[in-house]
Amino acid sequence: MRQLFSFVLLSLVSFSSLLSSASAAAADYHEQLVLRPLPLSALLASFNFRSNISLSEFEAHNFRFFPRSLGQILQHAGTQELHLRFSLGRWDSESWGARPWDGAREGGTGVELWAWLQAATDEEADHKWLTLTNALSGLFCASLNFIDGTRTTRPVMSFQPEGDHLNTTVADTHLLYGVLPHEVVCTENLTPFLKLLPCKGKAGIATLLDGHKLFDASWQSMAIDVKPICPIGGECVLQIELTIDMVLDIDRSKRPRDNPIPRPPPGHELPCDTSKPYHSHDTCFPTDHQANQDWTLSQIFGRTMKGTCPLTDPAVPPVCLQVPNSRSVYHSDGVLEKKNLDRISRCFEIKPDVNFEIVLPAPEDESAVLVKPETPLLYAERSFTGHGQERGGVQTILRNPSPDTEVEFIYMESLPWFMRIYLHTMSARVQGQPSKDESLIKEVYYRPAVDRARGTQLEVRMRVPPASTVFLTYDFEKSILRYTEYPPDANRGFDVAAAVITILSPAGYNLRTTSLLCSLPTPDFSMPYNVIIFTSTAIALAFGGMFNILVRRFVAADEGPEVGLAVLKKRIKERIGGLMEKFKKNKGRKTENGVGEPREKVNNVGVETEVAKV
Amino acid sequence: MSAQPLPSNENDASITTIAPKEEAPTSVRKLPPPEKPSDVRRRSHVILSFWLIVLLLGLPIWWKTTTIYRADLPLEEMLEWADGKACRPVFPLRISIQATSLQDQEAQNLLRLTQHALDDLNDFAGHHLRLQLGDEKQDSADNGSALTIRLTQGEGTTAMLDPYEPILDITYPPNTIPSPTASSSALATYIASQLRTTFAEEQATISYLLSTNSMPSEHRPLGLSPETAESLAKRTTRSLKYAPTYHLTFSLFTSGSLPSSWDIEMAIEEYMKPVLDVLSPIHNFTIDTQVQLYASPGVQNQVLNKEDLSSFINAAEWPLSPSIGGAPTINFIVFVGNQTIASASQDAAPTSQSWLIPQWGTVYLLSLPGDTTHVTAATLKQPLLTFTTHLLSLTGTPESGSLPLRLSTLARIRSADLLLRASSTLGSLARLAMALPSISIPSSVADGVTKTMSHLRLACDNLGGTEGLAHARIAEAEAERAFFEKSMVGQLYFPDEHKIAVYLPLLGPVAVPLVMGLINEIKAWRKRRRERAENGAEKKEQ
Repeated sequence: MRQLFSFVLLSLVSFSSLLSSASAAAADYHEQLVLRPLPLSALLASFNFRSNISLSEFEAHNFRFFPRSLGQILQHAGTQELHLRFSLGRWDSESWGARPWDGAREGGTGVELWAWLQAATDEEADHKWLTLTNALSGLFCASLNFIDGTRTTRPVMSFQPEGDHLNTTVADTHLLYGVLPHEVVCTENLTPFLKLLPCKGKAGIATLLDGHKLFDASWQSMAIDVKPICPIGGECVLQIELTIDMVLDIDRSKRPRDNPIPRPPPGHELPCDTSKPYHSHDTCFPTDHQANQDWTLSQIFGRTMKGTCPLTDPAVPPVCLQVPNSRSVYHSDGVLEKKNLDRISRCFEIKPDVNFEIVLPAPEDESAVLVKPETPLLYAERSFTGHGQERGGVQTILRNPSPDTEVEFIYMESLPWFMRIYLHTMSARVQGQPSKDESLIKEVYYRPAVDRARGTQLEVRMRVPPASTVFLTYDFEKSILRYTEYPPDANRGFDVAAAVITILSPAGYNLRTTSLLCSLPTPDFSMPYNVIIFTSTAIALAFGGMFNILVRRFVAADEGPEVGLAVLKKRIKERIGGLMEKFKKNKGRKTENGVGEPREKVNNVGVETEVAKV
Repeated sequence: MSAQPLPSNENDASITTIAPKEEAPTSVRKLPPPEKPSDVRRRSHVILSFWLIVLLLGLPIWWKTTTIYRADLPLEEMLEWADGKACRPVFPLRISIQATSLQDQEAQNLLRLTQHALDDLNDFAGHHLRLQLGDEKQDSADNGSALTIRLTQGEGTTAMLDPYEPILDITYPPNTIPSPTASSSALATYIASQLRTTFAEEQATISYLLSTNSMPSEHRPLGLSPETAESLAKRTTRSLKYAPTYHLTFSLFTSGSLPSSWDIEMAIEEYMKPVLDVLSPIHNFTIDTQVQLYASPGVQNQVLNKEDLSSFINAAEWPLSPSIGGAPTINFIVFVGNQTIASASQDAAPTSQSWLIPQWGTVYLLSLPGDTTHVTAATLKQPLLTFTTHLLSLTGTPESGSLPLRLSTLARIRSADLLLRASSTLGSLARLAMALPSISIPSSVADGVTKTMSHLRLACDNLGGTEGLAHARIAEAEAERAFFEKSMVGQLYFPDEHKIAVYLPLLGPVAVPLVMGLINEIKAWRKRRRERAENGAEKKEQ
């Protein structure tokens, strides 16, 4: 099995290098936008920017298309290969089908970073990782510097380098993986992203990128991939690939920006599902799938595309649209439309300095509106089970839709240390069978957490038989954090990073589950003061009692000094009377000058006695 | 009141009890039986031992566990450094005279007279020129002299600095050699004044540096004219802080899409490398280059005024992030566009194309034909020569004199600058430690201070040499590290209300019985003593 596994890997690597060598032979920069309408009035827009720098130029610090700011970070941190992801939202694979780029250019919710670093020892790698995360944090205005030891893992099976690494350097490269599920990706991350492009956001497809639209999307993922590529017989180049994928809701995008409140369409405009038995002139079941498939580029992105980037490789058409060839599409002047042979896509060649616009009218032929989404190799969803503040469980439902092919994959979790998992409870069973199936899990790599130092790393190589659903479950214990370790919004819960699923066979494919929100027992945050006051009171009571018993004298009730309100009143009266007298006498002495002062009578009430209540 | 008495009985009782109460309330109450003396003694012992535990055990533990660790800093010494009392910066410059054509006696005489003239001219004790006779074979670099004067016979009295070596060539007519008995000589005065002009700038700079720092007035040189001071102030604010390594970033910015490539590597190799090589004993340089298209400047005017120049750099959009790894970055920007700079005088042709941004770098406006796709090395010649000149002024190199002389001056100015900077950092640290009594001072800070002071001492002793520069550099780095110690920067906020909230619930209820017990015991003790004294008196009377 292991041999087979390595063979698969090898073939994967060689395949990717073959692909990449083909692209490396092309020009130093290219960019492309692929638009694919999806069911439920969604539109997938995939932006891809790719630029190369030869390794010799890179080492001489002469940057042209490769961004200098990123380049010097990579050099400073000894990074061989880098992958950075900023993601938001959820890919709805039930309706949208397989993921773009086979899932290779997306991350879990929040920020994900993994890199191969050149270092002789683990400590050196950790040090370089720290430098890298801190520098990237500054460059991308993200909290990447919070990727510390507790959020960093060293995956063993899940990730494989995409680039071509020399055999001599492979030995001392270290793969580190860090994830920040809590990070909210926003416009401040897009701006530095655009700065990395040679044409900025000023020309070419990047002009369509607008923070308002991008972060309004149902799902979006920004990816930065840097890898070395060595074509056979050519000079090695370092390639940076910037990818932005987003699924826009056409309905929401078409709303005018100054009046974004949605309003229901009038009844006669509703597209109805006529196949329903109850469909009649006054009942309507709305069909979502076919609705709203007419749009223009400026409606979706809020602006038209401003020409092309002059640096781009002219052989690659800048914009492609994946709709059936039978659908008519209008475009602006100076644009050449080319329908591809696969009958489901067409590309546009655009002259520089032309404002590009496409218009998709409402489809005439209802049967060929969309390209049918591809079925993904695996569906995965993960959720918490159990109740209470002490224990919980995680259940991942993995469904293989293929009727005849078994899927083998690696399931990787990097959990925070405060989720202490019980590995012995981990089990996998096929739906419909009550007992667990031992043959589903083939290999487990588990690195237990160390409190406050590192998180749990769990990698499971497993399989899902054809046309079946597998439940992978395990239990965990929630630990109680220290007072200062809670974030300000402790009752919101703690984000748990997405599980990464890397499919090994039948084909390379990646997917991630959604991230989870784990609620830990949160204390009352006035606790320290309560504790101080409570213990102080207890100590004071004990001490006071003991001290009084030791020190005071116990006598009968009628032997002690009298107590009560009347006594107190009298005493105060006496005191005041005494003071008054003294005052008067003082006055008199001043006038008479020289009369001897009578001695004050000492109040000789016994003080060391206590009234014993019998 | 355990039994229920009859109403009549109760009335009676109340009458009987109230009546005497009005006269003498205490007389009804029984007195407690007298206490055994052993009980009294035991009570005193109990109270005493509690108080001893509190004072001898409790207080020291509390003190020990709540004090903030403050390492001992030699505050006095640190302030002395800051005030300039610990070190008197003296730059003894040795100048050797090579006079092969003169006889030994004559040369000695000339040297004596020149030294005399120099001492008369010099008004600044810190900067001292000392002459010595050098022989032909010895190289000027070996004997540690800053300048060599080569005296040769010639037609008239002339002086010329050698452009490649620290040598001042002076020719003299044969009849100007002073006689052994002469008390003054025109030639000696001439040499002295030449030397003074050569080192005038260095002297001015160093005295400016000393005057801006808190140096005591006796070391402070006088006679800096306001104009000189102003130009020196301008130059010092312009130059970057000293660093062993500078990072040079060459950027080509274009407002449109063209040109997108340039021969910068070749141009640097040809026009800038020689100067970088010369500067290499003092600074190292790392270089990177980048091309940025579609860069719109911060000012869109066609003609740039003086005010526009400061906002020309579009810091928000241009990727000019400083290099990582500690070395300060100097930016050299070639901006391809058709903007021009308005010259100060109206009639002059607009020739200026570049300007220097203090402590940051240089911008050069390059106008090219619209369809240029590639900038050649030849086109970059003028920009790079400008950058080279600006680099020298950004590193703080003096403006006059020959290049070797300027560089050796630079080393001396830098070491003085670093020395003063480190001293003033020490002073700030000392003042900080004194001003904030609740700030914790970790031992690493104390180590840093010790190291700084030892290196400062070494630097002060070797001022003017390369060793002094190295020590001053270490001292400055250590002082900065000590001052910016992480645990000291973020001072913990621990207000007094907080302390009260923590201590009061515990100490209040515990302290009340303790204090009351002590007071009562003291009262009882005094009473006992008085009674004893009274008893004694009564016994005596009996």
